[in-house]
Amino acid sequence: MVLEITKVCKNFGGLSALTDVTFSINEGEIFGLIGPNGAGKTTMFNLITSMFTPTSGQITFKDEDITTMKSHHITEKGICRTFQNIRLFPEMSALENVMVGQHSRTRSGVLKSVFRTVSQKKEEAKIKDIAEELLDFVGLSTFSDLTSDNLAYGQQRRLEIARALASEPKVLLLDEPAAGMNETETSDLFDLIKKIQQKGITVLIIEHDMPLVMKLCDRIAVLNFGKKIAEGTPLEIQNHPEVIEAYLGKEEEDQYA
Amino acid sequence: MLAELINPYYLQVGCFILINIILGISVYITLSTGQLSLANAGFMGIGAYTSALLTIHFDLPIIIGIIIGALVAALCGVLIGIPTLRLQGVYLAIVTLGFGEVIRVIFVNWETLTNGSVGISGIPHIGREILKTLQGFGFQPMSIGLQNNQFIFLSIFILLLLITIFVIWFFRRQHQSRVGRAFAAIKLDEKAAESMGINITYYKVLAFAQGALVAGFAGAMYAHILAYISPADFAYHRAVEILIFVVFGGSEVIWGPIFGAFFLTLMPEVLRFISEYRYMIYGLIIIIMMAVRPQGLIDVPLLKALSKKGRKRGQKHGTGNHKSM
Repeated sequence: MVLEITKVCKNFGGLSALTDVTFSINEGEIFGLIGPNGAGKTTMFNLITSMFTPTSGQITFKDEDITTMKSHHITEKGICRTFQNIRLFPEMSALENVMVGQHSRTRSGVLKSVFRTVSQKKEEAKIKDIAEELLDFVGLSTFSDLTSDNLAYGQQRRLEIARALASEPKVLLLDEPAAGMNETETSDLFDLIKKIQQKGITVLIIEHDMPLVMKLCDRIAVLNFGKKIAEGTPLEIQNHPEVIEAYLGKEEEDQYA
Repeated sequence: MLAELINPYYLQVGCFILINIILGISVYITLSTGQLSLANAGFMGIGAYTSALLTIHFDLPIIIGIIIGALVAALCGVLIGIPTLRLQGVYLAIVTLGFGEVIRVIFVNWETLTNGSVGISGIPHIGREILKTLQGFGFQPMSIGLQNNQFIFLSIFILLLLITIFVIWFFRRQHQSRVGRAFAAIKLDEKAAESMGINITYYKVLAFAQGALVAGFAGAMYAHILAYISPADFAYHRAVEILIFVVFGGSEVIWGPIFGAFFLTLMPEVLRFISEYRYMIYGLIIIIMMAVRPQGLIDVPLLKALSKKGRKRGQKHGTGNHKSM
């Protein structure tokens, strides 16, 4: 069990975005988090990465309570995310974007940076090597000098994944990575996520593209109106009556409509 | 011959240009994490008063006074940087502007210590101290063909020039490093920076403290060059003046505030007749720049275009590198 979510609730004023959600993710698996719009999936991500604190409940990473830990500590522990609405650093080159991702794995402070000590130079070279390697890994090595806002949409999504990978995560959270992608891009993304899994990284993915989710995930949890309504293998989820209801509505209602 | 070239007046203008460049850089540093601070005139005042009072009342050497002055300013920078962490954009600007005014009012009203609005005079002059020290070793300015007065201003100018070059070098290097990338990341997207593992509290306060340190340092130098300071030197119009260097020159690259400070300090001296309208012109510059070129005169694309031009010229002479194109 690498990541455990226990009875997590989140209220925004009077609105409860998440109620008593519990699930856990095994090491090395690809875990899908699906549900209709507004079900609380992204809120879940924000809670795991501590951008919000839960109203109640507990989140543990490798048996350590990370519920109230600061965001940057959580990245340091080994959880990193991408964003639903791409949040790259627009004026930086693709390479620099990925280099920023290495921040929590490196140490040089102000004085070392200014006086360029031997260890700093080594570290800087290492950062660059890793960043180049990762750009190659996501297939963007030819674009390393381009500023990120000049990249195509699908490329920006890949770059965000590379940047997150640069923090050397044990768990990678992907928030709708296939949104707005065409079929070839989506199938490339499938290969990429599989490759990430082979590196030994656990993946938690939010996605609306059902064929991709069903093909990709080892297990899936379904949220609807802030509650978990189902959890299981793709096959179990596909035949789960409540899931079908959440996505398609009840049959009787259809007849009246 | 040398003696005719060295005009104390030119050197004094040169000194003010250099001090203003350092002040411009101090705003640039804080701004490179996306925080606009208008408190730098206040920090400058803290540095100036601290160093002046220490050297007058405790007979400390000027260099110690300047260092303590800068450090006290940096400490104030941390103290104001922490509570304003959550503020952004115009809100931060207003709070820091208010802080600068608070500092000025303290200088005016704490008469037993600061002499009120009359100001402090008789601050040890850095150039004279240098001369005195050198004379102690038996050096006479006449031996290199200079009068005492000329030597004093020349020594200050050279000292300031070296310091300015060091400051530029320091922050350029910092910019091209892990720390600089963290600053830039915070400026471009704070939330994304935080989830990439950057401790934004630390870096934002660090930038604030660095800006305050540099501004405090410039203030302390100012006090020991003019030998007289008063609260009016660090008032609202100084804050705006420093801001203008950055608005006009540009805030994206360090060369922006350097150019802004250089040009806007020199202009009223060269064109004496417009010096009276200085603040009117500043106002006009802000309006025009905001409308036409909000990032300032010097920005990254301009620098790239310039360096490309230079490279092309190099290629014509057969020294170019095709790969770099």
